[in-house]
Amino acid sequence: MNDENGNTSNWEKRLATALKSSLESKDKTPPFDAVFAAAERRRRDSKRQYAGLAGAAMVAAVAVAVVFMINAGAPTPDSPALPKLLQVAELMDSTDWSAPSDVLLPTHEFDIYQELPVLLESTKPAEGALL
Amino acid sequence: MRDADALENNPEITRSALEAIHGQVFGWALSRCNYDRAAAEDIMQQAYVELLSGNALFRKKSTLKTFVFSVVQNLARSRYRRLATRLRLVREHAANADDSFLPEEPDRNSDVWLAVRHLPVRQRDIIELVFCRELTIEEAASVMGITTGTGRVHYDRAKKALRAALGSLADDMK
Repeated sequence: MNDENGNTSNWEKRLATALKSSLESKDKTPPFDAVFAAAERRRRDSKRQYAGLAGAAMVAAVAVAVVFMINAGAPTPDSPALPKLLQVAELMDSTDWSAPSDVLLPTHEFDIYQELPVLLESTKPAEGALL
Repeated sequence: MRDADALENNPEITRSALEAIHGQVFGWALSRCNYDRAAAEDIMQQAYVELLSGNALFRKKSTLKTFVFSVVQNLARSRYRRLATRLRLVREHAANADDSFLPEEPDRNSDVWLAVRHLPVRQRDIIELVFCRELTIEEAASVMGITTGTGRVHYDRAKKALRAALGSLADDMK
């Protein structure tokens, strides 16, 4: 509010007084303690809210990590299962196979060789050859 | 040694120092909120929250009053930037505007105040800060986020405009 010589002009002083008086009528300030206490409450609430959000985010992250770890151990549907060693005894017990020609075996009482055919024996040659 | 009265996250600020400037800061907040008391109280609380949390950290680069005024100014700016669009839409669609909720301005009949209200925003702000809130032009410019030189230009233009507008009053004042 100083003029070029560093002095406050009379006009400016009066203007300041007039402005202040017009403001003072409405500048009824709320008590500092009330406003400050409300600000402290507001800060506490926002901190609590922030802590709650951070906690929820951490729980969600842990849950996702656990699910991921569980799924990582199991084979995925697309990947082939690991081959298992064959146990011969187990395989023999669990399977039964017979050849189609088994019906010709003696146990089936059909033996084409039950009777030996009698072959004609000849020692007499006929025209230089045996019969 | 740390002052027992100092804020935990803002060691350069004491509660008693804030209390000492509380009235002036509230006046500034009121002005920033177009004299809406509820909005001004909200801005004040938010400003104190910023100081308590240390988000607005005072490093003694200016006076505490200038610093807190700047915090209020910035909060009001960001708040009204968000609200401006919404408010404009509401006003555009309010066919029969009800003026019962108009904020209470300082003495509406005051010629001086009316003349100040008719100044461009920056001129009005610097006049209010210098004449009513007792800041220097440098401090006022800092609060407004402009250079001291620009602040001086606004201040001089505002004074000339006020002299012209308050001719008769100026004569009375002589």
